[in-house]
Amino acid sequence: MRKITVLLLASCALRLTARADFDRANKEFSTGNYKGAIVDYQAEVAAHRWSANLFYDLGNAYYRVNDIGRAILNYKRALVLDPRHPEPATNLQIARDQSRGLELTPAAAETWLGTLRSSTWAIAAAVCFWLGIFALFLPRTSATVAGAIFCFVLSAGCVYSVWSLESGTQGARSAVVVSDNAEARVATADSARSILALPPGSEVMILQERGDWNYAELPNHQRGWIAANAGEKVRL
Amino acid sequence: MFDLNRLLCCACLAATVIAQGAHAASPSVTAVLTSSETVLGRPVQLEIKVSDARGVTPPRSIAADGLDIRYTGESQNIVMRNFQMSSSVTFNYTVMPMKSGTFRIPAQMLQAGGATLRTPELTLHVSNASAFGSNRAPQNSGQADLGKVAFAELIVPKTSAYVGEIIPVVVRIGFNSRARTEGMEPPQLTGQGFTMQKLSDPERSLETISGRAYVVFSYKTAVSAARAGNLQLGPIETKANVLVPRQSATRHTPFDPFDGDDPFSDPFFSDPFGRFLERRELTIKSEPANLEVKPLPPGAPASFSGAIGNFSLKAQANPKRVQIGDPITIKAEISGRGNFDRIDAPALSDESGWHRYPPAATFKQDDDVGISGTKTFEMVISPNEKKSAVPPLAFSYFDPVQEKYISLQSNAEPIVVEGGAAPSPAAAVGAASPAGSPTAGTVSTKPEDILPQIKERGAVVQTFAPLFARPGFWWAQLAPLVIALGLGGWKYRSRRAVDREARRNSALRREADELLRRLRRDELPPEQYLADASRVVQLKTALKQNVEPATVDSESAASVFGLDEARREELRRLFATADELRYSGASNGSVSTEKRREALELIEGLS
Repeated sequence: MRKITVLLLASCALRLTARADFDRANKEFSTGNYKGAIVDYQAEVAAHRWSANLFYDLGNAYYRVNDIGRAILNYKRALVLDPRHPEPATNLQIARDQSRGLELTPAAAETWLGTLRSSTWAIAAAVCFWLGIFALFLPRTSATVAGAIFCFVLSAGCVYSVWSLESGTQGARSAVVVSDNAEARVATADSARSILALPPGSEVMILQERGDWNYAELPNHQRGWIAANAGEKVRL
Repeated sequence: MFDLNRLLCCACLAATVIAQGAHAASPSVTAVLTSSETVLGRPVQLEIKVSDARGVTPPRSIAADGLDIRYTGESQNIVMRNFQMSSSVTFNYTVMPMKSGTFRIPAQMLQAGGATLRTPELTLHVSNASAFGSNRAPQNSGQADLGKVAFAELIVPKTSAYVGEIIPVVVRIGFNSRARTEGMEPPQLTGQGFTMQKLSDPERSLETISGRAYVVFSYKTAVSAARAGNLQLGPIETKANVLVPRQSATRHTPFDPFDGDDPFSDPFFSDPFGRFLERRELTIKSEPANLEVKPLPPGAPASFSGAIGNFSLKAQANPKRVQIGDPITIKAEISGRGNFDRIDAPALSDESGWHRYPPAATFKQDDDVGISGTKTFEMVISPNEKKSAVPPLAFSYFDPVQEKYISLQSNAEPIVVEGGAAPSPAAAVGAASPAGSPTAGTVSTKPEDILPQIKERGAVVQTFAPLFARPGFWWAQLAPLVIALGLGGWKYRSRRAVDREARRNSALRREADELLRRLRRDELPPEQYLADASRVVQLKTALKQNVEPATVDSESAASVFGLDEARREELRRLFATADELRYSGASNGSVSTEKRREALELIEGLS
C-alpha cells in the first residue's frame, strides 16, 4: 500500500514538473524570449512528452527566430501526430510561402490514398482480414466463400495502402532540410558536383544513411547525397 | 533452339534500333575552330559537326574576307550507348589566313532532313608570325639515329597567356612508318604551375615529314596557368617498343644519291620476313615549351567570375504571364570558347523585388577538350511584387585577344505579373517582438504573422510510429485470434463427432449386409439362423433410430418400422424363438424352409 502511494505521488510530481516546464516555455515565448522557449520546448521533446501542440509551439518559436527550416519541420511533426490540427497546417503554409522550400510531389496513388491516414487503412486491413477468417467458419456455400475472398482482397488492398503511404513522401523516410545552403550532390564529398540547391524547409526522402551523408530522393525526382546534418527526419 | 534465340536477340536489337531511330533527337549543328588564334601562314581546321541528321549537304566553299577556306573531307560517327543510337557527320575545312587581323567566318546554312540548320559565327584572330609566337618543334628521342624512327612534339599555339586562360595543346608522337610499333605508354605531360585536362584518345594519321612517312598519334588537351611568370610546359615523355630494321652491313657509297635513305636498300626488301628486325625500347621526349603568363589586368567588373575567352550570352524567360510568387525559369546560354569551368551563372542586374533560387548548369562541349561549347544555366526566380520585365542578366569575361574585360547583358524580357502584393521579408511585425524583450533586437520580423501559441499541451503520445508498428495494434489482434481459435476448435470437435457417428453407422450397415447375405444362402443351423435374423432386425432398427442395436426388442422394432399386427406378431415370434434357442440351448428341430423364407421376407421388408 505504501509503495503504491509512493508511486502515485511520484507520478503526480512528474506530471506537475512537466506541466511547469511547458508553462515556462510558453511564458518565455510570450515574453519574446524565443531562444529560451526553444530550449524548454526541446527539453520536453527530449523527455518524450510529445504532443501536437508541443511541436506546434516549438515550430512557432523557431519561426520567430527565423529558423524557417526547423519551424517547418516541427509543424510537420505536429501534423503527423494530429493530421487534422488546423493551426500547424496554417502556419506550415505561411512558413513554406516564406522559405520557398521545395516540396516533394506525391504520386497520384499516394494523393488519393492519403485522404485516409495510414492508421485507418491499418485498422481496415485488420477488420477485413478477420472478417474473411470468420467467414470461413460459416457453412461452406458459394456466398460465404466469395465473401471471404472479397474480405481478403480488401484486406490486401488496405495493406498496400498502408505500405504506399508509409513509403511515400509523408512516410517514415520523410525529412526536412533545416540548414542554410544545403545542396544535394552526386557523391559523398563537398567537392562533388551539385545536383540541386535545397532551401531550408525543402522536403526530401531519406533512402539510405551512410555516415555523415544521407542518400535522398529530391523534389526534382532526382536522387543525391546531402549532408546528414542538413536535414532531419520528420518522425522521431 | 540456339539459332532461334539468336534470331530473337537480333530482332529485339533491330526493333530497339528502329524504335530509337523513330524517336531520334532533332538535328543540331556545331562549328568549331581548332584554334581561335593563329599566325599568318599557319592554317587552322574548321569542323562543322551535324548530329542526328541525314542527307546533309556541306557548304563546299565558305567565303570569308582574309581567309582561304577549303573543304578537305568528311567523317561519320555512329555511337550506340544504352540502346540509344546517335550519329554525326563532321565536315572538315582548312582555313588559311591570308593576312593578319581579326576575321569572322560567317554563319553557314545547312539543309538537313527538311530542316535548316545554322552554324554559329566564328572569329579567328591572325597575327604576324613575329608578333605571335608558338611553341612547336619536333624533337627526337635524344639518340642520334632515332630521328628517323620516332619523334615527340608539343604544340602550344601561343607563347604568352593570362592566368586562368585555357590553352589548347596538341601532343604528337610520330613513328617512322617502316618501324613496327608494338606498344606505347600514354604520354605524360608535366608542368609546374599549370592545371591540365586529361589527354584525349589519340587520333592516328599518316604524314610525310621531311620526305619520310610517319605514323603520327595526336593527343589533344588543354592547360591553364595557375600563376603568373615564365612557366615551362613539358617536356612530353613516353616509352615505346618498336621493331626497327637492323643496320645494314653494306656501306654507303660516296655516290649514294639518297644520302643513306635509299628505300630500295632497306633491309625489308632483302629480308621481307623480318629476320633483320630488332626490338628497341625507345624513350621519346620532346622539348619543353616556354610560356609567359601574365596576370589579369585590374578593373574587373563586378560580374566577372574568372571567365577568359570569347563568349556570347543568350537568355530566355518562361512563362511570360505569372502570379506573384510563381516561379519563372530563366534559361541562359553562354556560348563560345574559353575556360567554361570558371563560368558562373550570370547575375540578375537588379534583384530587388525578386526571389532568386540557386541555378543548375549543364555544359555541352563542341570539341574534344571542352574549350568550345555552350554552358546552359537554368535559374528560377519568382516576383515578390508586380513587375513588367525580367531584369537583364549580366555576365563579364576577359578577352585575351583584345586584352580587356567585356561585359554582356541580356535583354530585359517583358512579362506580366498578376495578383496582389506578396509578403515582403523586410516587412516588420512589431507585435511579434515586444520592445525590451531579450531578443527583440536580433529576431527578424515576418511578412505574414503566424497563428499564436497554444497554451494547452494536449494529448501526450509516446511514439511517432504508425499504428501498425505499435505493439498495441498487434496485441489487439489477439482478441479476434482467440475467437477464431475457439471457433476453429468447436468446428473441429463437431466434425469429429459427425465422423464418429458416420463410422458407427457404416459398421452397422456392413454387419447387417453381411448377415443378410448369410441368411439368403440358407446354410446356417437353426439357432444361428434365427439369431442372425433377429440381429439384422436390431441393426436396421438401430440405423433408423440411432440407438444401440442391443437395446432393440421386437416391440420397439415393430414400432419403428410401423408394422401391422400380423407382421408384428411374426416379429415377436422370431425374437422369442431366437431367444429361446440362444438361452435354453434346446433345439426343437429344424426350422422349416417356409419359415426361413417368411423370416427373410419380413427382414427385407423392414425399411
